[in-house]
Amino acid sequence: MIQIPPGAFARPGTSLEFKTGTWRAERPVHQRRAAPCHSACPAGEDAQAYLAKVEMGDMRGAWETVVAANPLPAITGRVCHHPCESACNRAHYDESITIHGVERFLGDEALRQGWSYPVPIPSADAPRMAVVGSGPAGLAAAYHLLRGGCRVTLIEAMPAAGGTVRTAIPHYRLPPDVLEQELDHMLALPGLDFRLRTQLGRDVSLEELRADHEAVFLGPGRRKGREGSADFAVPGNLRTGLQLLEAWVAGGTLPEQPRSVAIVGGGNTAVDLARVLRREGVEQVHLISHQRVPAPGVPADDAMRATYREVSQALEEGVTIHEHRGVRRLILRGERVVGMELVHMKKLEDADGRLRRVAFEGTETVLHVDQVIPAIGQDVDGSGFESLVRRGYMEVEPWWGTVDGQSGIFSGGDARSDHGTVSEAVGDGRRAAAAMLRYRAGKQLEPGAPPEPIPYSDLNLSYFETAPASKEPVLPPEQRLGLEEIEGGLQANAVRHEAHRCLSCGDCLACDNCWTLCPDQSVLKTREVAADGSHYVFDYDFCKGCGICAHECPTGYIRMIPE
Amino acid sequence: MNEQPLHDLDTLRARQPRFRGLESGHRACQGCGEALAARLTTEAAGPDVVVANATGCLEVFTTPWPQSAWRLPWIHSVFGNTAAVAAGMEAALKQQGRATQVLAFAGDGGTFDIGFQALSGMMERGHDVLFVCFDNEAYMNTGVQRSGSTPHAAMTTTSPPGELRMGKRHMKKDILSIIAAHHIPYAATASVAYPSDLRKKVRRAMDTEGASFLQIHSPCPLGWGHDGAKTIEVARLAVQTGLFPVIEMERGELIGTLPIREPRPVSDYLKLQNRFRHLFASEYRARKELEHLQAIANRNIERFELRGVGPETYDTEGADTVHRGGDRWA
Repeated sequence: MIQIPPGAFARPGTSLEFKTGTWRAERPVHQRRAAPCHSACPAGEDAQAYLAKVEMGDMRGAWETVVAANPLPAITGRVCHHPCESACNRAHYDESITIHGVERFLGDEALRQGWSYPVPIPSADAPRMAVVGSGPAGLAAAYHLLRGGCRVTLIEAMPAAGGTVRTAIPHYRLPPDVLEQELDHMLALPGLDFRLRTQLGRDVSLEELRADHEAVFLGPGRRKGREGSADFAVPGNLRTGLQLLEAWVAGGTLPEQPRSVAIVGGGNTAVDLARVLRREGVEQVHLISHQRVPAPGVPADDAMRATYREVSQALEEGVTIHEHRGVRRLILRGERVVGMELVHMKKLEDADGRLRRVAFEGTETVLHVDQVIPAIGQDVDGSGFESLVRRGYMEVEPWWGTVDGQSGIFSGGDARSDHGTVSEAVGDGRRAAAAMLRYRAGKQLEPGAPPEPIPYSDLNLSYFETAPASKEPVLPPEQRLGLEEIEGGLQANAVRHEAHRCLSCGDCLACDNCWTLCPDQSVLKTREVAADGSHYVFDYDFCKGCGICAHECPTGYIRMIPE
Repeated sequence: MNEQPLHDLDTLRARQPRFRGLESGHRACQGCGEALAARLTTEAAGPDVVVANATGCLEVFTTPWPQSAWRLPWIHSVFGNTAAVAAGMEAALKQQGRATQVLAFAGDGGTFDIGFQALSGMMERGHDVLFVCFDNEAYMNTGVQRSGSTPHAAMTTTSPPGELRMGKRHMKKDILSIIAAHHIPYAATASVAYPSDLRKKVRRAMDTEGASFLQIHSPCPLGWGHDGAKTIEVARLAVQTGLFPVIEMERGELIGTLPIREPRPVSDYLKLQNRFRHLFASEYRARKELEHLQAIANRNIERFELRGVGPETYDTEGADTVHRGGDRWA
């Protein structure tokens, strides 16, 4: 046997005695950052988080992630205008993830499978909270208060729950069975005392509610037709757009059958009504709007308040839209409307820098129509809390919904002047519930804001491949005559495809890139999820801080911070 | 700061689901491409190997006596005779009837220049050895002197740009043609930017009977003058521009390439590195040499037919695609 002198060999792996971590000037850390879809969601859903669960095959976990923010995904998956998809980083790469399709699928799946909400049963001495109105804002507030361990009294003036979602969203957008099932599912939660046909001011006073409960949320919506704010005098027998729309949603028919109609207004009510009238066989449906058709690139203050998707489907269905147009006067023959005089208008900055609507002389035109329907918005019906309504709206702190000058009273949803969608209402209800819990605990409400999203430039796109988005089937315009739902939703395989396309912005993809590319064997892989939610641990004894892992992380989840 | 109380790091390290041929604690610079290449090579080659290692950075930073970062039998040869030492070990193991595979590691100096005659002899005699050249394009260990592998126009301490020259005057040696002339069963090039491709080629070479050769493009942050965090990006751009063709040969014939989906201009690669900084001066000579390097890349693309015909799963864009759960294709 040959003896090797000790100077001629070393034992394997003994370099571990030498801690190269002392060379480091910067260290890599895992830092979860909000994906743009999450920041953009008015309801506060973290789409990135539930897409990750879908990709891992955990549909129920994905749904639970959705309902951690929004109890009504089957509804919002259909009616929301999905700002998440406009914000999606993948839009810069090929096409946005079809997030609303995934949300809708998860909502439907929960109803089909009867998954129960992750909400505890409240204890006997749980704090009591009151919620007025069972529209999306009130429902979300009640739900999040239940999640927070409270008992909730929810009162509703109407004979059925849902608010605007029930009364003013056409069935071709939201089928009634989906609405009923999801509402029933949520309203069956333990600890919820739901009272229908109970009107504030008539059956119970705000003072009584306030006395019996720790805090009160007001979600009255906007149901009172606006008076005197149209460009023209409204004859007494005219019905407003919302009234007609509600009549149609409730009964499926309209009281009159004119040949041509002009609807004045550019909000969702106006557009929905225009589409309903087309379905009812009205040949010419005109929309008169001060603003333009919303489209990518049109500034928000110059775009109709209705969502882009609704407006473009209305155009497909043959609705004529008169942009930048105002009404000078109605042309009457006796009592009957026979037309209207229109004029070109635009919002311009005046000498003081304020936006002012200007009508241009000499641009007047006459539009012959049988009927004119004002749909220029509604005000809050303040019965029972008249003193809190200012100029037709509730004035609230924008994040927490605290009502100005009131202690323990919160509000949100359509009652706010700046909110008018279901998902905004859900977000208002969610944040107000959090504020009510903090109010009860005597905690201060710090100013809140949506999380700062991770920019596209912080991702490393070398590690992704292009893949077309899954599109849901859409009923062609010529077949959109009845109540049949227009958008068909995504199938399970398409939902998984979308989850697989997600770039996982700002969150660990568990892709092994850091583990594969570390020259110093200083990224260690874990079988279980590590303390910070990733699957990797940095061994700072040896990490030299070169930054390869951070630079090559596809999702921007690793950051270098100075030692 | 993320504390990790859940994990005992020593236990976790011992349980890593891959062979740790090259352990932490080695003294390579931050962002060393060669350390990464050696780590990837040894984890694909597996534990039942012996390694002969020429003098160079890899030898120096892995074995500061009395420590070693290797977890496999490893011997330091002198600069020029790695292939000969490996050939001797292979013959001895064969004589003993053992299946242990032999690897020879060398830098570009130990391959293109100083170690070349031993390598040529080993290939000519057909020893069953995988010779791995960690190509960082200069003598980095001794302080960045130009080698036969240094690309044209690159600045090194012995090829400085100045009044007479714009960096290295000569071309990068066409080692692949020389290897091809030996008609060995398998030869390939790889890059640290494409780890799956690299590991696949190591395994393929290990399965090949007879001499095989693997050249791995390994950026050197210190010698090339780029940020250590950008080692992979630099390596990827070398491939995507066509300046470093990733190919496979059998018996000297081209049998496969990593197709380039969309060739990038060479300036994307060059501008990240200090060794090419003088090519971005506003003078005729600089513009001329920049175009010269672009022409070299174009010729590589032409010669090896690197241009893809359309998006492919395993081209320069697709071959490093990652997935949730870490499943890579090799």
